[in-house]
Amino acid sequence: MNGHAARRVLTLHLGVIVLLFLAQFALPDYHHTNVARIMVLAAYALGYNILLGYTGLMSLGHAMFFAAGMYGAGLPVYYLGFGAAGALVTGVAAGMLLAALFGLVALRTSGVSFLIVSLMFAQAFYLASLYFNEITLGDQGFSLSGNLAPLELGGASLGFHEPALKYNAALLLFTACFLLSLGLRLSPIGRVLIAIRENEERTRLFGYDSMRYKLLALVLSGGLAAAAGATYALLFSYVGSTFASILFSIYPLLWRLLGGVGTILGPLVGTGLMFYLVDIASGITSAYLLVVGVVLVVLILWFPQGIMGTLRAKWLPWLP
Amino acid sequence: MAAVAAVAPLLATEALCKRFGGLTAVDDVDLRVAAGEIRAVIGPNGAGKTTLVGMICGRLAPNSGRILYQGRDITAMRPWERLMLGIVYTFQVTSIFKGLSCYENVALPAQRRLMRGFAARLALGEQAVAARVHAALAAVGLSGIAEQRADSLAYGHQRLLELAMALAAEPQLLILDEPTQGLAEAEIEQLCGLVRTIAQGATVLLIEHNMPVVLALAGHVTVMDAGRIIAEGTPAEIERHPGVQKAYLGR
Repeated sequence: MNGHAARRVLTLHLGVIVLLFLAQFALPDYHHTNVARIMVLAAYALGYNILLGYTGLMSLGHAMFFAAGMYGAGLPVYYLGFGAAGALVTGVAAGMLLAALFGLVALRTSGVSFLIVSLMFAQAFYLASLYFNEITLGDQGFSLSGNLAPLELGGASLGFHEPALKYNAALLLFTACFLLSLGLRLSPIGRVLIAIRENEERTRLFGYDSMRYKLLALVLSGGLAAAAGATYALLFSYVGSTFASILFSIYPLLWRLLGGVGTILGPLVGTGLMFYLVDIASGITSAYLLVVGVVLVVLILWFPQGIMGTLRAKWLPWLP
Repeated sequence: MAAVAAVAPLLATEALCKRFGGLTAVDDVDLRVAAGEIRAVIGPNGAGKTTLVGMICGRLAPNSGRILYQGRDITAMRPWERLMLGIVYTFQVTSIFKGLSCYENVALPAQRRLMRGFAARLALGEQAVAARVHAALAAVGLSGIAEQRADSLAYGHQRLLELAMALAAEPQLLILDEPTQGLAEAEIEQLCGLVRTIAQGATVLLIEHNMPVVLALAGHVTVMDAGRIIAEGTPAEIERHPGVQKAYLGR
């Protein structure tokens, strides 16, 4: 990529971050909270995208990484009185460790087998979170409000119930995951990951140990998912096994398909669209899932590669 | 033939065997390739040529025997480690990254030797990669198509792109598996010229069906049939060899 194209890419993506920052001053309360939630979930989708979009491995078990981050952060706060920063570290570490262990077993498979193995691991994780309900409180879950000390920032004390803190913490998480994804995409490692997606054997014969790269992608992917899970627990003050269920493994796949295959902006677009689709439809009718389903089918018909993916294929070939 | 063996070979296989179930695809093969030569391996379909080079580049593991490269035993070495020693393989079936631009296709092998150390894995001077990419594309006569998608190229150009990818990997031993397959007459001529140029800096191991190409390029020819080497010699000797005529040339 030449300098001009790189500048254009950087301008667009930083512009999106700036726009999100400015939006908090304009948005009404209700949408303010929604967008904060969307940004956290989009960080999750970005994590998912590293594995599927850039490495070509489709997982149906990412909820276990999201939930590992959630429990990894929530349990130390609830039982040990950890602060937010410490909880974020333990949450991300839990997700990355789980991803590494999972990868050592599951990366022996690929394609549909990998999908099934990831699903089985995630189900085992989900059932374990129910089984150990004396600790995790199962699907009833637990709230962190009252356990989490306010964040001290230069003399100011910010409680986690403050909308401004929620929004900016979510934005910070999203920005970190976003820049990490973009940096990875443009790095030599990103080139290798894409090559593995396109033709793994050819990549191995060009001097790359594909297993190591796939493991790296999986650990990063699990790490971002866990960071999103941990942040979700801290900002929205709830930890429960619902987040480990299959539904939360399917969501990032849907967000990503809707947003755009293998693009950096796709996860944000897909997550936001899906969120508001459900939000608006459920305000109109109780059969909102039917409406959501129909809209999704229509969108996929018109945008077979997702919204950003189709934009790229038709008009913006330089989009990473 | 004795003269070839006397020089310390770049590549040597010793009693190399590969079985697939009941079929012995490569049977007790001793192949010696001297540094700097163009060696052709010919033989009828199913003779075991592709299996043999598959073991040399590390795609396939032999059942028994050894592979020596520059005097080192590389039998157990993984394919990505062999590339770092300079063993580069191009597939019989065009094997490019179809969905990526030509630039990206060539950049993957071009960046490999630059990725040493942790920092270089995260960020490379893209100019260094770009210089290698453009040099490799220029060497095969494909300058100016860097931004095109690889699958938009004509078949002959896809084969050339594949050669550019191999060159970008900086081969010492370049294994070409039927490079002229499916090419038009003029393209074959261009390819022969290219292989000669490449051979000035690297050793070439060429699997080829097209006899005029073999006769024009190779210094030595190895003939395989049913997994074994049945003859070896200069192109002129091979043409006269009675066993070869029976097994391969069908006369």
